[in-house]
Amino acid sequence: MARFLGYLAKRIVNYIVMIFVATSLTYFLACAFMSPRSNYESRTPRPSQESIEASLDKANLNDKTPVTERYQRWLTNIVTEWNWGLSPAGDSVNNEISSRIGASVKLMLLSTILSIVIGVSLGVYTAQRQYQWQDRFWSGLASVFLVIPTVVLAILIVFFAIEINQQTGQRIFYVTGLSSYDGPNFFIGLIDFLQHILLPTIVLTIISSVGYHLNQRTYLLDEMHADYVRTARAKGLTKKQAIRKHALRASLIPTSVNVAFSIASIFTGAVMTEKIFAIHGMGEYFINCINNNNINGAVAVAAFSGACTLLGALLADLFAAALDPRIKMS
Amino acid sequence: MSDTTSTTTMDDTLRYELLEGNGPKGAPTGDPVMSVRNLRVSFNTEAGVVHAVRDVNFDLWGGRTLGIVGESGSGKSVTALSLIGLLDDNAHVSGSVKLNGEELIGKSDEEMSKIRGARISMIFQDPLSALTPMFSIGDQLAEALLIHNPDMTKDEVRKRCIELLTLVGITDPENRLDAYPHEFSGGMRQRVVIAIAIANNPDIIIADEPTTALDVTIQAQILDILKVAQKETGAAVVLITHDLGVVAGTADDVMVMYAGRAVERASIDTLFERPSQPYTMGLLGAVPKPHMPAEHRLVPIKGNPPSLAAIPAGCPFSPRCPMATDECRVTEPELLPLEEGEGHLVSCHHMDEIRDKHLTYADVYPALEPLLPKWADVPRDQRPVVLEVKDLVKTFPIQGKGLIRRNKGTMTAVDHASFTIHEGETLALVGESGSGKSTTLMQIMDLVVPEEGTITVLGKKTSELKNARDRRELRRNLQIIFQDPMSSLDPRMPIYDVLAEPLEAQGWDKTKINKRIGELMYLVGINPDYVDRFPSQFSGGQRQRIAIARALATSPKLLLLDEPIASLDVSIQAGIINLLEDLQVQLKISYLFVAHDLAVIRHISDTVAVMHLGKIVEYGDTEEVFTNPQDPYTKALLSAIPIPDPKVERTRERLVYRDGKLIPASSLLPKSLK
Repeated sequence: MARFLGYLAKRIVNYIVMIFVATSLTYFLACAFMSPRSNYESRTPRPSQESIEASLDKANLNDKTPVTERYQRWLTNIVTEWNWGLSPAGDSVNNEISSRIGASVKLMLLSTILSIVIGVSLGVYTAQRQYQWQDRFWSGLASVFLVIPTVVLAILIVFFAIEINQQTGQRIFYVTGLSSYDGPNFFIGLIDFLQHILLPTIVLTIISSVGYHLNQRTYLLDEMHADYVRTARAKGLTKKQAIRKHALRASLIPTSVNVAFSIASIFTGAVMTEKIFAIHGMGEYFINCINNNNINGAVAVAAFSGACTLLGALLADLFAAALDPRIKMS
Repeated sequence: MSDTTSTTTMDDTLRYELLEGNGPKGAPTGDPVMSVRNLRVSFNTEAGVVHAVRDVNFDLWGGRTLGIVGESGSGKSVTALSLIGLLDDNAHVSGSVKLNGEELIGKSDEEMSKIRGARISMIFQDPLSALTPMFSIGDQLAEALLIHNPDMTKDEVRKRCIELLTLVGITDPENRLDAYPHEFSGGMRQRVVIAIAIANNPDIIIADEPTTALDVTIQAQILDILKVAQKETGAAVVLITHDLGVVAGTADDVMVMYAGRAVERASIDTLFERPSQPYTMGLLGAVPKPHMPAEHRLVPIKGNPPSLAAIPAGCPFSPRCPMATDECRVTEPELLPLEEGEGHLVSCHHMDEIRDKHLTYADVYPALEPLLPKWADVPRDQRPVVLEVKDLVKTFPIQGKGLIRRNKGTMTAVDHASFTIHEGETLALVGESGSGKSTTLMQIMDLVVPEEGTITVLGKKTSELKNARDRRELRRNLQIIFQDPMSSLDPRMPIYDVLAEPLEAQGWDKTKINKRIGELMYLVGINPDYVDRFPSQFSGGQRQRIAIARALATSPKLLLLDEPIASLDVSIQAGIINLLEDLQVQLKISYLFVAHDLAVIRHISDTVAVMHLGKIVEYGDTEEVFTNPQDPYTKALLSAIPIPDPKVERTRERLVYRDGKLIPASSLLPKSLK
């Protein structure tokens, strides 16, 4: 156990170094390509030159200050105060991100769980019925969803939802935002939330469960024909028992790696879906940062996704080690 | 088939089997535990309907071993899988398989699963993949017990597991129960598989090539364990193999299969004394004998085993048979007794002629040619030295795990190995897996400067090679041939490109290359018109010929051969061995031959170096080493080779190498078997 913790600590220190290097590089790149000055210069009426310089200096975004100096100040703020800086408009990046993470988690959590459960079950179900009609039907459907772009799928679903709303004459589905009820009643609030979250959840679930389904099907098919499944059957297990007990576990190892990474992606959001359903989550924020020359915001998002990805990698290794005795975590 | 005819054939099968008494256990007595009649298995594949098994009949008796011998595609494994009901879903099985009178064909997977493991069990070929890597040995053994005896308590299961592991010779079984398969060697894993197979005292144990993937000394141990298992359970054993030596030492009755049918069936001693079907004769004749010096060239059976999707009309062996007449190409012969009143069954139209004239291998197959005179023009010791390896050392660091890999010491893979090869000479490097023979080969191939010692190729030390040009020049004279011709040729390259590549690398021009490729194809015996074909259009033996042609393209002086025939069928091997011998005499090439098949080595090599744990423990003339081995490890290795002669196999005592000493193998077996 001590060796395991030591190993874990070593991994985490390694990851911190990696994130530091990647984030610093992102900072320099963002500084080279984004021009917050133009945000002010294009305003009408154009603010005075002194006020532009003052605002840029305040946000530590002035391109007249040498980049190394800005970097030093930016880094000091993060290390000493965990302050990720200000947007060109002067808002705190910390506040903006913390309010948006919540929206992303609300959006992603349910759909991630659903897509793993549905995708993996369908994969197992179809693999056991390879080339039978059930397999052809579900795998065919999966291929169709695989090639439909997210945007098109989302708009189609929105279209159907509005159609249903019109047919019934009631607002069953909301197609924008995450809530429109502000009252104190918890249950009305919950139902209102569900009415909002349903459509984007359907879109995200379909899109990511397709991947789980097709991958899980392939992994299980590979393992189903392994020699040890035959040994298990020779012992007296039926084909189904042998697959469930022996092949399934092995086929879950690569799936668990995917799952680990998707846990990390819960926090980084979904760019397209958030845009279409007007959900103010991390995905939308990232796009906005780039459009609005928000250097500090973009770098913070990049650092955050980097941390999430590495967390996913660590989780993936832990999952694999838990499932496979051949992997030793020390 | 009408009822009356099937009854008579059934009786005949059994009647002849009861006459098979020319083996160590005499004729079978009592009722058979399993009766297989008119077994037919076919598969629908993209290439058409494959008739993998056609009308196979046999019976199994408790305590007796039936050896089923055949090459790849003979239907032997499919026969075995159909007994235990483990064929793929697309297999069509007909006929009858009766276990103590109970019909098994037509049973559902659920019904069969009650019989599998309890009354019929199976041992598979590759122990490395036969156990589930995620579960401990104990769990997998316990599963076999619990699935059939759900009422067993935890303690009972544990006690029985320890008992089983002890029986198959796993030391310290209490602690090994919690180990995972990857912590076991191949031989140990096969022992565990055998323990699983005998867990429920089955009536029948099917062993499908149980030792093919193992080293020769491990093979001998596993065959002994199999005998213990049979003794312990009283089961009937079906041993499926392509190795006639393995059959000779283990089986009581033998059935030879070819193209999905039994072509000869007899008691073990009868089959080896008097093989009477031309295919069996060829099979026995084509194998080099490990216990006799090479006196003449091997005679290969021409052609290749047929594809089961397109079995030739008439006798399926007729396209390869030297005795074939028109009749053979039209009707398929039946399996009939060779002599009245004997159980020796043969399927051949020329059976009467073979019996009456007492035809043997030497009469049927083209005359045995004497070995080519190798040292005719220049005696061996006057020939120049092509390769000299002196005190070669190669170590590998043993790495700690984790992100920062600290070296935890070194493992010496090659420990001061020295040998020399003269022009036109073959040196065989012999040893078991992990002995360092492949590492030695790769060190020479890479022309590395060794950690210690020297490698001298054609008089040039590798440490004195200055630049890439020197290396390329030397590499022209040094080529390698790998084990698996299926994977060593690029499947997307036509043969022309395969052969042209090494020449282009040496900067030849187009017209010279074309001429050379024609020569090469002729040299290895492949029609030069086939240069546009892709490797997948050739059989395994032809591909290995192409690989040899590729290696010969630049007229090398030294060929490194890494198990060049191990993946080929027995009847094909002889052809490749002959080709290598011819090429050596014609071109005066030297071979460094790495192999684990000691019979082949005795046949082809002039000198032998036996490697054990990185050291060369014995080095000398092949005949000297084989007839008068000095090192105890060599003695153990030689005594482990199965000899394709049942009488020799039964009478000799195998020796086992333990901590530098030799002990008789029987002393390691449980007392019950002695």
